[in-house]
This record gives sequence, structure tokens and C-alpha cells, in this order.
Amino acid sequence: MGIQIAYFPGCSLHSTAKEYNDSIKASFGSLGVELKEVPDWNCCGATAAHSLNESLALALPARNLALAEREGLPLFAPCSACYHRFILANRKLRSDDELLLEVNELIDPLVYKGGTEVRNILEILVEDVGVKTIKKMVKRPLKGLRLVSYYGCLLTRVPHGQASDDTENPVYMDKVVEALGAEPVPWPSKMDCCGASLNLTEEAIVCRLSSHILDNAQAVDAQAVVTSCTLCQLNLDMMQSGTKPEYNHQAGLPVFYISELLALALGHDFPSGQWKKHFVDPKGVLEKEGLI
Amino acid sequence: MKQSERIQISDGSVVDQGFTQQVIQLTGEEVMSCFQCMKCTNGCPLAPEMDVPPNKAIRYVQLGMRDAALAADSIWICATCYTCTVRCPNDIDIAHVMDTLRRMAYQSQGDATTKSHIVHFHELFLKSLKEYGRVNETKLLAKYELREGRFLKDAKLGMKMFFMGKMNIFPQKIQNKEQIEKIFERASKRKG
Repeated sequence: MGIQIAYFPGCSLHSTAKEYNDSIKASFGSLGVELKEVPDWNCCGATAAHSLNESLALALPARNLALAEREGLPLFAPCSACYHRFILANRKLRSDDELLLEVNELIDPLVYKGGTEVRNILEILVEDVGVKTIKKMVKRPLKGLRLVSYYGCLLTRVPHGQASDDTENPVYMDKVVEALGAEPVPWPSKMDCCGASLNLTEEAIVCRLSSHILDNAQAVDAQAVVTSCTLCQLNLDMMQSGTKPEYNHQAGLPVFYISELLALALGHDFPSGQWKKHFVDPKGVLEKEGLI
Repeated sequence: MKQSERIQISDGSVVDQGFTQQVIQLTGEEVMSCFQCMKCTNGCPLAPEMDVPPNKAIRYVQLGMRDAALAADSIWICATCYTCTVRCPNDIDIAHVMDTLRRMAYQSQGDATTKSHIVHFHELFLKSLKEYGRVNETKLLAKYELREGRFLKDAKLGMKMFFMGKMNIFPQKIQNKEQIEKIFERASKRKG
């Protein structure tokens, strides 16, 4: 197929979301998408930078955009939060020459000219690879698996512009789920907020928001949740972990990364350590449907 | 910019006419076109927890009510989910305005807010980033827990995540750390 992309794993794919990183590498390898890791990438700045210092919120992503530009490749950020920071910084830098000049002074000796395209995992799967191709490559259809697609906040919410997928009712993840042979179940919490990084500072809020999402997944008889965001995965999974009195939701719903299901359907066999990185062990559901 | 004019109005609140212009200048957003349809607040997942929901924050900006806007807990609770922004019929990037208010509050009053623990978390996050070029979540969490005196509360969760292989003990450092240090140094000199 010959798709090459500059891969920006971001900090969480090397720690709390290692299973996302491993499954992206496994599944993209099977799809023939070549991931070239952005050399010497740095943290995007996340909520901290844009909350306290706008210059950092522009310069930290800009350094990575410049590094990807040198490779002449689009930048793939699997974490929704990183993706959104890149999209926002890129839009600002591309529409304001004076600002681009100022930010280039901040990242000197690197130079960003504004030429890097930013992609998320669903855009790559649906627009670059294509669901028809994915469907053809499925070796182990996820038949019978009832999944709710959980997009979270940031994939389609672009200020003053239009995302590729629908802003209020995105369908890209459902399309991929369907291509893998599973059943995407309609539900009302596709785009609801899990509370994101407030999980460390305002637990009560995150409990309320994440529990509501799990309630809605239960109400439509889903067997599991599928997501592409590291904070969404962590919050929904953690909420069912029993590690704190508040984190005691009884749904028992595994929360998969889309890449884990993709790799599984493409015939990849994970080492057992993959599932140990989940609070709610997905093995029960996968065994029941004869998938492992 | 002309000197701000602070006027006390009948209910005791202070109106600062320069504040409205300052927010417009910093954000580039047309905040004056807000007509209070409240779509932002109706869709806001955090509104039930907020003392000043997004529509009210925008109104404070329009009226020049600097102190009321910058003292709001909401600016720290906002999860930057962008629901308000994409639903605004006047195309105001409301999340960007909230973000800007947060930075203005930080610049003028630091952590003097009832949500000081959130400010501390952000500060520790940036410190870790500056040190390594990437964020070491294990060290960041430990430092935050110690800072806020809540170490035992999260001990079980932290240990579990450690044994699940989701936490790194050793931080990952980037090669060109000096580039990140330079970015921080220059950014601290540039206003905003």
C-alpha cells in the first residue's frame, strides 16, 4: 500500500497506554502502514501548557511539527489530547505569519514552515487505508461482539472549522468496528466527556462523568467499549477497578483501544501481558466469542 | 492600550473597561457577538460543577467584570472539551476564551484560587516536561501526591498500575534537552 507516516506516540503511549502503542505497531504493520517515529519528539505540553502559558502551548507542538516536516511526512498522533493540541497549534501557525515567525524564534534552531498535516488514528484507517481494504484483510472476524464506539471529546471538535468526521455524530469508529465484523451498537454517549485529566485533581467530577458513560453502555447491552483516546480508556477502565471506594462501578465492561481489536481481527495474537494492562480483564468476553 | 478604568457599580462589583478589550486582543475572538443563547452552558459537561458557567463567563468579559471572571473556580474546572466552541452560533471559540481567562488569572494571582491544587498539578507537569522533554508520569504523580498530602489515598491505585506495567520508574529523556530548556526560557520572556 505504501503509506508512510511520522509517528508521534506521546508520553502516555510509553507509560499508562503502552498497550495502545503495542497494538498500533502490530496492526499497522499488518496493514502495510509504515510508522517512522518522529526523531527526538517532545511532550506536546498537554493541559498544563495551554492552561498556564500560551507560548509553550504553541512552541512545544511546533517543535514536533517541524521535526515531522523535515521527514516530509504527515504526523500521526494516536492520543486524542496530543492530536487536538497539534491541530490547534497548526491552525494558528498556518493562518498567522507573524505568529509563525515568533514561534520559530522560540524553537530555534528548528524551523517550522507550516507544511505538516496532522492525522488521528481514525482518519488514517478510514481515509488513508479505507474500510474496504481493512475488511478484506480481516482473518478473524469479531463476529457477535457488541461494541459501543466511544470517541470522547477531542477528535472532531475543531474551532472555526470542520473536522473530517461529523462533529456531533461521528461515524468513523463505527465503520471500522463494522469492517472488523463486530456490531457497532448505537448509544447516546459517543462524544460525552469522561473528565479527562481532572482524574487526578477532581475525582468526584470524573466519577460522575465516567460512570454516566458506563451506565449508558450497560443500558444498550454492550459487551465492551472501544475507544481511541488514552484518557478515555484510562478513566472508564479505572472507574471499574475497585482501587478506591469511588472507583467501584459494577459494569464489568472491558475498555479496548480500537487498535487492539484491529490487531486481533487481522490475526495478531497478543502475548498475555497485553490484557494484563487492563483493569477489567477483556479475556472473558474474547473467550466467550471464541476470539482468543 | 489605554489605561484601564475601574468603576464600581451599584451592586458593589467592579467594572474594568480595559478588560474586555484585553480579552478580545488576546483571543482574537468576537466575544461581543454573544447574545446569551446558552447553547454553550447547556452542552457543557462541567456546568453542574461550575460557579460561573461559560455563558456567564462570556457576559463578565463583555461587561468588563475582570475580578468576577478571574476569581471563578470554573476557569480551572473547565476540561477544555470544546463542546461550547463547536456549538456557538456566533462562532466564538469559547474554550479558548476560558483558557485565556485561566492564563490571565495565573499571571495576576498565581495559585491564589480555591482550585490551587489544579494549578500545582499543571506547574509540576511543566517542571517534569522542562527537565526531560517528556513527562514522567510516575514521578509527576508522586510529587503531586506529596505536595497535596494525599499520598495514601491513591497508594492502592498507584501500586496496581505499577504492577500492571503502566508506570515507568526511570524517566525517558530526549536527546536535545537543551532545545526544550531554551523554549521554556524564551517562552517565559514572551508575554502570554
